[in-house]
Amino acid sequence: MTEILLLEDLPEIRSWLKVLINQVFPDSTIHEAARVHDALGLVSAVKFNLALCDLGLPDGSGVDVVAALREHQPECQSVVVTIHDDDDHLFPALQAGAFGYLLKEQARELIAEQLKRMSQGEPPLSPSIARRVISHFASQTQRQERPQNMPHVALTDRENEVLLRVAKGFTLPEIGVQLNLSRHTIADYVKQIYRKLNVSSRAEAALEAQRLGLFRR
Amino acid sequence: MSIRPRLALAALLALVWLAVAMLPVAAHAADVIVIDKALSMPASGNGPPTFGANAQPVTLPDDWAETRPRHEGGVWYATTFDRPTSVDRQELMALYVERACSNLEVWLNGQRIYSGGRMSEPVTRNCHYPQIVTLPGALLSDRGNVLELQVQGHALQRVASRLRAGGLSALKIGPQTVLAAEHLRHRFWNVTMVEIVSVVLTVSGLVMIGLGLMNRREAYLSYFGWLSLTWGLLSMRLWWRDMPWDNSVTEFLVCSAYAPVAALIVQFLLSYADLRSRWIERALIAQCVLLPATLLLAGAPRLYSMAAFWYPIMLIEVGAVAALFLVIAWRRKRRDFWAMVAVLSIALALMLHELFVFLGLIDPPKWPLSQIAMPLIFAGMAARLLYVFARSLRAAEDGRETLETRVAQVTAELEQNFAQLADLRVEQVTEKERKRIAGDLHDDLGAKLLTIVHTSESERISTLAREALEEMRLSVRGLTGKPMRLADALADWRAETVLRLGQANIEIDWRSPPEETDQLLPARGFVQTTRILREAVSNIIKHSGASHCKVRCTIGDHLFGILVQDNGKGIPMELDGKLDRGHGMSSMKHRAKQMQGQCLVESGPGYGTVIRLTLPL
Repeated sequence: MTEILLLEDLPEIRSWLKVLINQVFPDSTIHEAARVHDALGLVSAVKFNLALCDLGLPDGSGVDVVAALREHQPECQSVVVTIHDDDDHLFPALQAGAFGYLLKEQARELIAEQLKRMSQGEPPLSPSIARRVISHFASQTQRQERPQNMPHVALTDRENEVLLRVAKGFTLPEIGVQLNLSRHTIADYVKQIYRKLNVSSRAEAALEAQRLGLFRR
Repeated sequence: MSIRPRLALAALLALVWLAVAMLPVAAHAADVIVIDKALSMPASGNGPPTFGANAQPVTLPDDWAETRPRHEGGVWYATTFDRPTSVDRQELMALYVERACSNLEVWLNGQRIYSGGRMSEPVTRNCHYPQIVTLPGALLSDRGNVLELQVQGHALQRVASRLRAGGLSALKIGPQTVLAAEHLRHRFWNVTMVEIVSVVLTVSGLVMIGLGLMNRREAYLSYFGWLSLTWGLLSMRLWWRDMPWDNSVTEFLVCSAYAPVAALIVQFLLSYADLRSRWIERALIAQCVLLPATLLLAGAPRLYSMAAFWYPIMLIEVGAVAALFLVIAWRRKRRDFWAMVAVLSIALALMLHELFVFLGLIDPPKWPLSQIAMPLIFAGMAARLLYVFARSLRAAEDGRETLETRVAQVTAELEQNFAQLADLRVEQVTEKERKRIAGDLHDDLGAKLLTIVHTSESERISTLAREALEEMRLSVRGLTGKPMRLADALADWRAETVLRLGQANIEIDWRSPPEETDQLLPARGFVQTTRILREAVSNIIKHSGASHCKVRCTIGDHLFGILVQDNGKGIPMELDGKLDRGHGMSSMKHRAKQMQGQCLVESGPGYGTVIRLTLPL
């Protein structure tokens, strides 16, 4: 039994997404929400395995739902489904804990394929996202101060290697061939990179909050 | 800076030359008789008395303070002399009296031949004027000439200075030419010099008072101005002979004037050291009132005693303040410290000397030393103050100019910054507006196209809608995007091309320069190139039937090129010899042209297709 959250404000899109989800996960229960507020209510009530979240919603951003899921249901896999393909929109969602992204206008088959792969632990990674991840960790390393009780998150050499190659335009299968690694190993690296991005972003956010005096009494 | 000391030196040399030139020369000593013995009698009635048994022999100079204390009024002196034989009979003879205080009348052989002025109150004040009396040849005998002099003077007790107490110096009789020269010299130093100094001090005092009034913060200028003015007016007592009031009034005024003089010196030194004490100011004012009050109370006959009480007190005050000033100047490391040490010690020494003379402890100098030296110090000090003032004025002027330049600079900077800020603001607003338009496009048009993509029954319509959506996103990116690194753009193109061709099972061989470049590609350039490349790849996937695709990228200084080659069946020619328009070749060429680049297509049936895209950077 799979519990799936579907957050999307446009009814037509929501209905075809539902069809698509039913194709990929035939025995799942789909909980629909059209507003961030409704979705947050569902998050506190239902334990999800998968969440598909739109970003631009009438009462806010799907990033908040992604963050709430990461906070309260770390086991749940969040995927961003959006019309925005630029990393300015995608990167914050990935930082908040999203595990991948789907572009809405892609062909149904392609989306189904990607969704399947993601659920099997093979998230996508584009060159521009890879570049953002690299510069994120570079600025993290340069920074001297670090909040207490926050682990220092660093990428391993192999993870860096994968990121750099993606940033240069190589696809994940190509990198697998180049590094003589299996498809699953490469996918594991990418998952690990996303996880570390989330942890390090939360550490950064905590540090930022501390600097702004939010924790000061 | 260098002209002033030279001027000062020149002035000093001129003064020294003048002094040397005017120094008395010991000439014709033999021709001049010096009479230092005489008979004396207190005056009573008109005309010379009969010098009988009551006549007293005196030695000249006769200082009344010594020989007849408290005597007030006239004294007759009588002496006889022979005409010097060495002098030619035709030579005009004269009597020279260096000092007769306060006034003098001369009788020769029973005839009144000279009067220095009024002999009754207010008596003419001739104390500082040397007197020369031409002896009429007709009255002069070869031997036994009788010379009688009446001196009208004041008791020491009634005057404020020993130099104005009654007395008669030694008499000199000799050729008029010789004595006239001596008279002239003496008069120059005793009177003319003091007059010059009076005028100089008064004028410089007025100037400084004016400066002080205009610059209230420089209080020392005012104090020094008033000090100079007071001193200048006070020196009038030395050369103004016929004052319209009694001697006692003059002496009272002169003595009283020392209180404000002392007060001004004290205040000047304090304000020059940037100090101010209300307590001292009140005490000085009190002194200025108290001194004349005590003089009035004691009465004219005790003027000298009261002055002998006040003068040392005031000298101590001045000395103490001078010491205080020097201590402070030393601590503050004032640049004029040593100059001030010299000036103040000379001034104090002169005042001390004056006091000793006044008290009768030392003999009076031959010339009115302090009456000339003190004003010289004053003048030097005034010059220094004016110089300092002028310099600070110039410094202020320079400072103001610097300030003005700085203000102008800052204003210019500010204007520039403002302009930049305005530009930035415009940029920000534009950026915001672009984002808003982009957001609207996504939310509105995007959602509609998306609905078409996923709800249309026709595959063709949904493909068109998808393409329209892609176009829209690219346009939005061109609208909002910043310049992109060419290397990053190449990476994006590679990833997309490899992914798409891979999905279509077409082998891909992509090669781009391995070295990283920092060259930038404008957002529009990126978008247009993406479109061209995407079109080319779409053509290969849809129409070429190729199994292999080769992509080569080259980066030059001002150009970059992309070559896309496939091994498909090529593009069929149209009847008019042009390439098939349906394959979007013309739109690719059009886009390349928009970017001042070019897009060349070579194709032939069975030879595949080569697309060469060259674009400027």
